[in-house]
Amino acid sequence: MTVYKVSVVVTKSDHPGAIVNLKEAPEVGKTIELGDNEFVITEVLELMPPRGEFHFLHVTCVPKELHE
Amino acid sequence: MELKEIMKGVELFEGLTDEELEKVISLCKERHYKESDIVAEQNSPGNELFIIQEGFVEVAVAGRAGGASKVIVNLGKGQTVGEMSLVDQGPRSATVRALNTPTIVQVITDNDFENLCEENHRIGYVVLRNIAADLSFRLRQRHLSDIVG
Repeated sequence: MTVYKVSVVVTKSDHPGAIVNLKEAPEVGKTIELGDNEFVITEVLELMPPRGEFHFLHVTCVPKELHE
Repeated sequence: MELKEIMKGVELFEGLTDEELEKVISLCKERHYKESDIVAEQNSPGNELFIIQEGFVEVAVAGRAGGASKVIVNLGKGQTVGEMSLVDQGPRSATVRALNTPTIVQVITDNDFENLCEENHRIGYVVLRNIAADLSFRLRQRHLSDIVG
């Protein structure tokens, strides 16, 4: 069971960002849901090397309505 | 989903065998919160570890001298709250509030956790190593958040 532990930073918004576990790897251009809000991913970085089934990533994203 | 499957998705328990994970699960008590309920309050004594099973919580830190608090991050399923107190026995470093109804968490007291670690040193080693890795992850997350912010 691969788990992607993802640090999320949101730009163009006062959203504080989040840390979430995802079942699928985030990709630039795809969306990510944080509660009721949807965001478009603009950058993905590996934050730390994987350990066991866990991958540690960082994504930057923008609110979907502000994505160009 | 069965609690064991949920706990396998929690980084804190990565590396434990099924048998070891069962021992940890036997310590868990489930708690339900409504939106805006306080899960943990800054500066209060901390003697419980929270594992988010469903929903989101926000983590807010009050400014010095009673200044306004600032939400620093939201945490979702599989994340943990309260591990700093588990390590240093200090007061809560932030206020944690539920953002959804229901927000479901699993709770382990520090006494129960310490007793388990005394009984089984490998569990203690694995979980404490994972806590260190989680704190490192959050520090890196804060650095990147500060750069963007």
